[in-house]
Amino acid sequence: MHTEVTWGLLIVVYLFTAGVSAGAMVASNAAFLLGGDRYERVARWGAYLAPFPIAFGTGVLLLDLGSPLNFYHLFMTLQYKSPMSWGSWAILLFTLLSLLYLYLWLPPRYQVGHVIKRVRAWKGGLAKGMPILAVSVASYTGVLLNAADRPLWQIALLPELFLVSAMSTGVAAVGVAVALSRRWRASHEEKLSLALVDIVLVGIELLIFGAMMIDSQIGTLNQQLAYAVLWTGSYAAAFWIMIMILGLVVPLILKIVEVRGRLPWKWNEWVGLGSSLLVLVGGFFVRYVITYAGQMTGWLR
Amino acid sequence: MPKIYTWDQLFSRRQFIKGGVAAAALGAAAGSGLLHPKPGLGDARSTVASTLSGTKYVYTICEQCVWRCGVIARVENGVVRKLEGNPDHPNNAGKLCPRGNAGIETLYSPSRVKFPLIRAGARGSGLWRRASWDEALTYTAEQMKKIKDKYGAKAMIFNSTDNLSQPFFETLLKAYGTPNYGTQRSLCFNSMTTGFLYTYGVAQPGTDYANCNYMIFSGRNLAEGISNIETQEMIDMVARGAKVVVLDPRFTKTAAKAEWLPIRPGTDLAFFLALINVLVNEKLYDAKFVSQYTQGFDELTKEVATYTPQWAEVQTEIPAGTIRRIAREFAASAPAAIAHPNWRTSNFLNSFQAERAIAVLNALAGNWAKPGGLIPDQSINTAKLGTLPHPSYPAAVGMRLDGVPWQFPMVPLAYGVLQVMRDNILTGKPYQAKGWLISRQNPVLSIPERQKTINAIMKLDFIGVIDIMANDTAYYADVILPESSYLERYDGLVPIGDEIFIRQPVIKPLYDTKSSLMIYKELAVKLGLGDFLPYQDEKDLLVQELKPYTVSLEELERKGHYRVPNFKEDHSKDFAFQTSSGKIEIASGIMAQMGKKAVPTWEAPPKPGPDEFYLLTGKTAQHSQMFTQDNRWLLEIFPENKAWLHTTVAKKLGVKTDDMVIIESEVGKIRIKVYVTEGIRPDSVFMVGGFGHVSKGLHFAYGRGASDSALHKSLADPISGSSALSQTFVRVSKA
Amino acid sequence: MTVRMGFVIITSRCIDCDACMVACRAENEVPIGFTRNWVTDSGAVGKFPIVKQMFEPGNCMHCEKPSCLSVCPTGATYKRADGIVLVDDTKCIGCKYCIEACPYDARFLNPVTGKADKCTFCLQRLEQGLKPACVQTCLGKARHSGDLNDPESVVSKLLNRYPARQLSPDAGTRPNIYYIDVPVAEIPSGT
Ligand SMILES: Nc1nc2c(c(=O)[nH]1)N[C@H]1C(S)=C(S)[C@@H](COP(=O)(O)OP(=O)(O)OC[C@H]3O[C@@H](n4cnc5c(=O)[nH]c(N)nc54)[C@H](O)[C@@H]3O)O[C@H]1N2
Ligand SMILES: Nc1nc2c(c(=O)[nH]1)N[C@H]1C(S)=C(S)[C@@H](COP(=O)(O)OP(=O)(O)OC[C@H]3O[C@@H](n4cnc5c(=O)[nH]c(N)nc54)[C@H](O)[C@@H]3O)O[C@H]1N2
Ligand code: SF4
Ligand code: SF4
Ligand code: SF4
Ligand code: SF4
Ligand code: SF4
Ligand SMILES: [Mo]
Repeated sequence: MHTEVTWGLLIVVYLFTAGVSAGAMVASNAAFLLGGDRYERVARWGAYLAPFPIAFGTGVLLLDLGSPLNFYHLFMTLQYKSPMSWGSWAILLFTLLSLLYLYLWLPPRYQVGHVIKRVRAWKGGLAKGMPILAVSVASYTGVLLNAADRPLWQIALLPELFLVSAMSTGVAAVGVAVALSRRWRASHEEKLSLALVDIVLVGIELLIFGAMMIDSQIGTLNQQLAYAVLWTGSYAAAFWIMIMILGLVVPLILKIVEVRGRLPWKWNEWVGLGSSLLVLVGGFFVRYVITYAGQMTGWLR
Repeated sequence: MPKIYTWDQLFSRRQFIKGGVAAAALGAAAGSGLLHPKPGLGDARSTVASTLSGTKYVYTICEQCVWRCGVIARVENGVVRKLEGNPDHPNNAGKLCPRGNAGIETLYSPSRVKFPLIRAGARGSGLWRRASWDEALTYTAEQMKKIKDKYGAKAMIFNSTDNLSQPFFETLLKAYGTPNYGTQRSLCFNSMTTGFLYTYGVAQPGTDYANCNYMIFSGRNLAEGISNIETQEMIDMVARGAKVVVLDPRFTKTAAKAEWLPIRPGTDLAFFLALINVLVNEKLYDAKFVSQYTQGFDELTKEVATYTPQWAEVQTEIPAGTIRRIAREFAASAPAAIAHPNWRTSNFLNSFQAERAIAVLNALAGNWAKPGGLIPDQSINTAKLGTLPHPSYPAAVGMRLDGVPWQFPMVPLAYGVLQVMRDNILTGKPYQAKGWLISRQNPVLSIPERQKTINAIMKLDFIGVIDIMANDTAYYADVILPESSYLERYDGLVPIGDEIFIRQPVIKPLYDTKSSLMIYKELAVKLGLGDFLPYQDEKDLLVQELKPYTVSLEELERKGHYRVPNFKEDHSKDFAFQTSSGKIEIASGIMAQMGKKAVPTWEAPPKPGPDEFYLLTGKTAQHSQMFTQDNRWLLEIFPENKAWLHTTVAKKLGVKTDDMVIIESEVGKIRIKVYVTEGIRPDSVFMVGGFGHVSKGLHFAYGRGASDSALHKSLADPISGSSALSQTFVRVSKA
Repeated sequence: MTVRMGFVIITSRCIDCDACMVACRAENEVPIGFTRNWVTDSGAVGKFPIVKQMFEPGNCMHCEKPSCLSVCPTGATYKRADGIVLVDDTKCIGCKYCIEACPYDARFLNPVTGKADKCTFCLQRLEQGLKPACVQTCLGKARHSGDLNDPESVVSKLLNRYPARQLSPDAGTRPNIYYIDVPVAEIPSGT
């Protein structure tokens, strides 16, 4: 019966950008905490990137509201049962703190006063705290759908899938930035590590999809029908081509090629860049397909 | 030089706001809203705010179809917000059907004609100029006088479909002196009314659902061809567990509640003859009733001897065993068993015979005036209104264009044969018609062979239309006299049983329109016939109609109805049959006189050729006739008609639901979307009628769906004059 | 006992006329293109000539555990003490989360108000002692409403006498529309 799309592209963009920001933030935090100076460029670019996709996404979300001028009501209350309610608070907090984090990463001349002296400590503090917020934001996008009473969105692994996908797109986004940057271009080691992380994340994503496929064989009829929209239904083409092949398998192979480093240097550069872009595309389509296909699924009466 | 408008300009909001009167009536608040219409619903009604305040409830009568349900309108600040069924009204017991609920959208429709219009380009060009009422009426009267002077009154045709002020239209036509009157009847129920008239002397007996235990409908589809209270009673009957059998070549929503017999179109006659055969052979009929009240039983016995269930199985494609079972079940339930008289039973030229067989079957069941059976004529038990004095009518000189009685001797004069009248405008025989005045009818779409009707209009010197909107016939007219909608006007009073009901304006007219009561009156004055409609205004007329009673018009307006005190129902004439023999005529005296077989007899209907299909037509619950397809609220629930095809047929053609097909008959060709279903005989195609409008003055209906009237052949049963709407065969191909 | 407002719908009495849909549109000024209630039609099921057809009217089920309510981020969606689930327009931001969350697709975003919209049980009518518009006009007497906890209500009496089912119990919202499919000869009188 439900044939219209209530949540459209704007929501997909919102879900995607929130994931990218969260992923980039976690990449930056990890690079800073674990890699120190050797991973400075990754940490820096993660910090520079993190606030913007999510801020853009939030702006896009406002456009999607029926009563955008009323949006402040989101922050007049905390509805703990509503993922969107705590998610909005989390995103607000995340955006503000990521701006602060970005500020701390700015070259000193852009920073004012004696903050400078304590920058490192602040950075450290934030880098330890932010991942928690980032993980909330990233899994929020999954929980958001999870809580809406639709068979496809009620898949248990959805928050995990969105979390891993968020991380991989964030890492890929940082990968693209550090590959293209003139001033803070990544070192070989950094690139290699980013690629390795992506390999692991993409691998986990594939495993999650594998688990979903097993789940789809044993679930209730409602769930089986819901999954069928993905595997064989009207979103099957998008799922198999844009997500599975172009978004996961191809970049996985390319990343492996990149890591093994057998290709000439220049080529390797392009393989790395291309595979990161594909991961981003794949991550976008994960949101797109799940959001749209989910709305097609309903409960048997 | 008057400004000339196209339909688009005429019906843009900008234009009608320019019309001074309309704008004034709407008040200042309306202006801005109308110039900047909001999308979607209620643009007109939410902006048409008047200075009046408060909420009031007004009793009136629905006119979204011909059934006349009681309505209570909720009016807030001069805006009609809600229509609700009047619980005290016998026609609907408090409930409105979808069309009745959507009356608000009819009132505020942008397709309303908002002031009189006179054609300013070729007929059907859609070019018009605005006229004052005086000018439009003077023009109409002049044209009508010219025709009368030059060709005699007979060259003028008057047409109207059943409505509350129809008696006054008839007065106008009689005063004018033409014999030519066209109603919808021959397209609708002539087979039924003549069939029952010639059997019982009663054209439309009632049916006692509340006590009936066995009902056979042939084609009558109460769930979709809604007759409000009757539809409710049918549902109650089903719920009560009473048996309902539906003969219909397609699976209707009534059939969904009953035992469905997908009879071969045109063979209902065989089915009923076989039921009679079983009742007679197995002596299951009410012998006492038959001998007391009927005549011709022996002749019937002889006639039906060969009409065995086995024989009928070949004709109807219903198993003989089923037919026999139904005959026995029906007889066992008698007299609380009814073979329903049906309504628009204008399916085949043999439909009259089928209706006669149905009438006779009921007589064999002895269900006349018994609980659960047929109810005798109720008109004698209806309160009588006061009448208006008028001079004697001039003699209507000339043969009737519709062939009654010279070509159709058995069709009652009041019924007429509309499709033949149209044909004879074209043939010019027995003389050439010159003018046509049409009120509340849309013959362009309702008569078979749409193109012929348009051609007929083109041939005339003058055509005037009284309608509320720019419907198809109005679109081809020379002058449109816009009537106020039913929520803005008075009409003649309606007596039902011992009660009298009133239609009254629930708001003032939105535009420069008039009630037909006043249009007829003022036209009569211009024609010099004012004495025939002796009333000053509507209220004056209603007061005269109320004369026999003590109630005042104000009280009637306030309460919506008036119950005549101490009204005695008279059942002394229930068995005084108004036939030539005074009995129920199983063998009809008139038929015998006309040299026809007096008892119901088999007439084989034609069959479609190879690769041809029967074309079936019918109603949908969500629309009325050729009228409401422009109503947005109703389009929401039924947006367009589609051609029903059986799954196997669709497969063969390679089409799915919503694919386009071309349907062709001998007389026309249309394109339409397909609806694939198991609920139709594989030899039939079904379309809901009323779509496929040709008027560009209809904002939302123009170009929607397709019209089966463009395909229907023009046929007329020589006995009843009934059109035969299923007797057109079509070819279907993938578009 | 607390009031629990709900509906009983007798599918066997529905003829799919859609009067209920038009009545709701008029009463509640529902914009063209949207509807607060519906009637689903199974179409002809089976093989010619043995076919069946079912009509199933519906609207917001005023669920016991409404998923529309739990997802609402602003608290705009609320459940009254009598069980009627409503939207407070002043708080609604039009995020459409509730529309997604409702397993019955009972909600839509009203383009005129920019708020989530759905069946309000015709509260304005209840306050005047009237039945909801869809119930009042129903030609088949298929739609009934009232207090499911009041043994004197039409709905309770119907549920006492006839077997009933709920839609999509899997969805877990505990809907307050009960469906009776068997013939119901007489509608009991009641509040
Ligand atoms: N909603 C709604 N209600 C209406 C109207 C309306 O326009 N809309 N119009 C009113 C008017 S004026 C009338 S006359 C009545 C008409 O009401 P009905 O007479 O009940 O209905 P129709 O839909 O005209 O035709 C009924 C059926 O005849 C079937 N049929 C066609 N050929 C044959 C045949 O050879 N044998 C049999 N057994 N069946 C056949 C068609 O499939 C169709 O389902 O409805 C009235 N009520
Ligand atoms: N194909 C096909 N043809 C059919 C039928 C069918 O089922 N299929 N059915 C047949 C039957 S049963 C019938 S009864 C006839 C009906 O045939 P018609 O009587 O010709 O058709 P209606 O649509 O009832 O015409 C009503 C006209 O009145 C106008 N009108 C509406 N309200 C008012 C008002 O308040 N005042 C005025 N002045 N005008 C108003 C409408 O705009 C419309 O133009 O059609 C017959 N023709
Ligand atoms: S049956 Fe429907 S359209 Fe006809 S008068 Fe009654 S409510 Fe109005
Ligand atoms: S039916 Fe849907 S909108 Fe209504 S209360 Fe239940 S979940 Fe909420
Ligand atoms: S659209 Fe309104 S009612 Fe629905 S969840 Fe959002 S804020 Fe709540
Ligand atoms: S109760 Fe009122 S708002 Fe709800 S569906 Fe019925 S008419 Fe519409
Ligand atoms: S009004 Fe009643 S009978 Fe008609 S569709 Fe609605 S629920 Fe069914
Ligand atoms: Mo009719």
